[in-house]
Amino acid sequence: MAALPQLLVSTVLLGGIYALIAVGLTLIFGIMRVVNFAHGEFLMLGMYLAFWTFTLWGLDPYVTLWVAVPLFFVVGLAVYAIVIRGVVRASHNVQIFTTVGLSTILQNGALVLWTGDFRFVRPWYAAVVLRVGDAAFNLSQVVAFAVAVLFTVALFAFMRWTHAGRVMRATAQDAEAATLMGIDTDRVYRLAFAIGIACVGVAGVLVSPLYSVYPTAGLQFVLLAYVVVVLGGLGDMVGALLGSLIVAGVEVVGSYAFGSAWKEVIYFVLFIAVLLFRPAGLFGQRGAESLGA
Amino acid sequence: MTRHALALAFFAAAAVMPLVIHDAYFLDSLVVILIWGAVSAAWNLAGGYAGQVSLGHSAFFGIGAYAAALLATRFNQSAWIGMLAGAVVATAAGLVIGYLSNRLKGPYFALATIAFSQVLLIIASRWRAFTSGSEGIPVPFRPGFATLGFASKTVWVYLVLALALAIYLAERYLEVSRMGYRLAGVREDEDAAEALGIPTRRLKVAAIALSAALTSVCGTLWAQYVGFVDPFYVFSVDLSVRFALNAIIGGLGSAMGPFVGSLLITTLETYLRATFSGIHGSLIGIYLVIYGALLIVLVRFVPQGVVGWLGARARRLGRHARA
Repeated sequence: MAALPQLLVSTVLLGGIYALIAVGLTLIFGIMRVVNFAHGEFLMLGMYLAFWTFTLWGLDPYVTLWVAVPLFFVVGLAVYAIVIRGVVRASHNVQIFTTVGLSTILQNGALVLWTGDFRFVRPWYAAVVLRVGDAAFNLSQVVAFAVAVLFTVALFAFMRWTHAGRVMRATAQDAEAATLMGIDTDRVYRLAFAIGIACVGVAGVLVSPLYSVYPTAGLQFVLLAYVVVVLGGLGDMVGALLGSLIVAGVEVVGSYAFGSAWKEVIYFVLFIAVLLFRPAGLFGQRGAESLGA
Repeated sequence: MTRHALALAFFAAAAVMPLVIHDAYFLDSLVVILIWGAVSAAWNLAGGYAGQVSLGHSAFFGIGAYAAALLATRFNQSAWIGMLAGAVVATAAGLVIGYLSNRLKGPYFALATIAFSQVLLIIASRWRAFTSGSEGIPVPFRPGFATLGFASKTVWVYLVLALALAIYLAERYLEVSRMGYRLAGVREDEDAAEALGIPTRRLKVAAIALSAALTSVCGTLWAQYVGFVDPFYVFSVDLSVRFALNAIIGGLGSAMGPFVGSLLITTLETYLRATFSGIHGSLIGIYLVIYGALLIVLVRFVPQGVVGWLGARARRLGRHARA
């Protein structure tokens, strides 16, 4: 078991990144009850943002990060106003196909604008490997992990201790009662969607030094994020964090045992298994009614 | 009545056109419209009639395509055998997925089906020894009826038309059959249907399995027609979305809807491709952007689809005429 420390470190680092992708998704689902099939495309846009600012102006992704937060927040507001607002109260099917349509537009928009080539963001630290005892890891992985944890904790604190966060949780619990208490649910939804998109946009910038950038880069991550979100219980932030660690663990151990070519199969199978046996999540029942468990 | 008229006009036109027009490009468009219409009609059995909206139907399409291609190249079998084998495998897969994901609703069913098609994509593109991996498989062309090798596009039009018509008629029959009414009950209110003693579980599984088998048959025909099976195409999420899109644009749970949707979308696609391919190669993706926008606008403003919308218009006109 000489590999154990390495497996542990890799799991934690990977889990942090998955968590940032998943918290946005769980926020949007938890509050709006809308499953955003276009979530991965915003991750892809974040990756392209990092790629272009790095390639054109030599901006380090960790600088771009601070631009990405307000930028994707505004993008989230705009997308909400144009596309999502009209379907928040619509049926599941309408919501599915609206967000699938959005995903198609963004994916192919990226394809038209930037071609299907695989692109890479390679800042100087991309190749720096740190060694602690038996474990080796990439510097950008550590930074991505640190920032991801920072954002997740900040979001958690926001939801828990600020007035806006309380309002959002109230709306998630019972939108009708919230309306009766004078809460403008439309504003809550707008805010939730924008925050969710900001999170995933930031995640895109963060992972850009680690993964190649291409128009459908979001797909594998979003399916992963769904595994995480369903595992952790829909709308549950702490659950999303734990779910991320579990998924990352499965991926790391699976790649170690079976080779990385088949790791996707492992987490898709895990996904199907979770949907089948524990659709309400490992830790809670929240949102269970919406998936008919 | 309008629906019969629409169907009659559509299928009659498809049958007569090859006799009049011999342009290869036109006939190719006709084959493609009919094939995509037939797959979407097959999707409609699960998505429209049973309310099980799948975004992983490319899995079954790919099973059909691979079954024929693999049996022909590895075991030297006729494509008809491949079609049968594909349908059997797809039915089994549909039964398993339908049974396992029975509790899942709406977005979760869609996600589970996406995951399933992705698993098949990974297997098909990584298992090099058997499936040739990501390179795909060229389907050998052996002329003759027994091997499903037709050089004439006219023959293809009639072959695909026969399949399309069979699926259409089966769905029309379903609409007035006992199973059809029960399925409508399951779709509209599952708990109420269950309370009335309708075996909702079994009905949904049956609808998915049948839908899977028909989708697989379409996949086989498509592979034979195009002559090449690419795992990243036949198992793609885009393809699954396309199947759903035709049905939604035409009208969910209407037998004619998917064909009308396919006619509109495929024509639009052909037109846009022809328009943009000359200007700039990468602009070819722009028709998919338009697709996406169309999807968003249509599900929001015409959720009953074109056929449903036409029907409502016709009924209104009829009332005016009588008054």
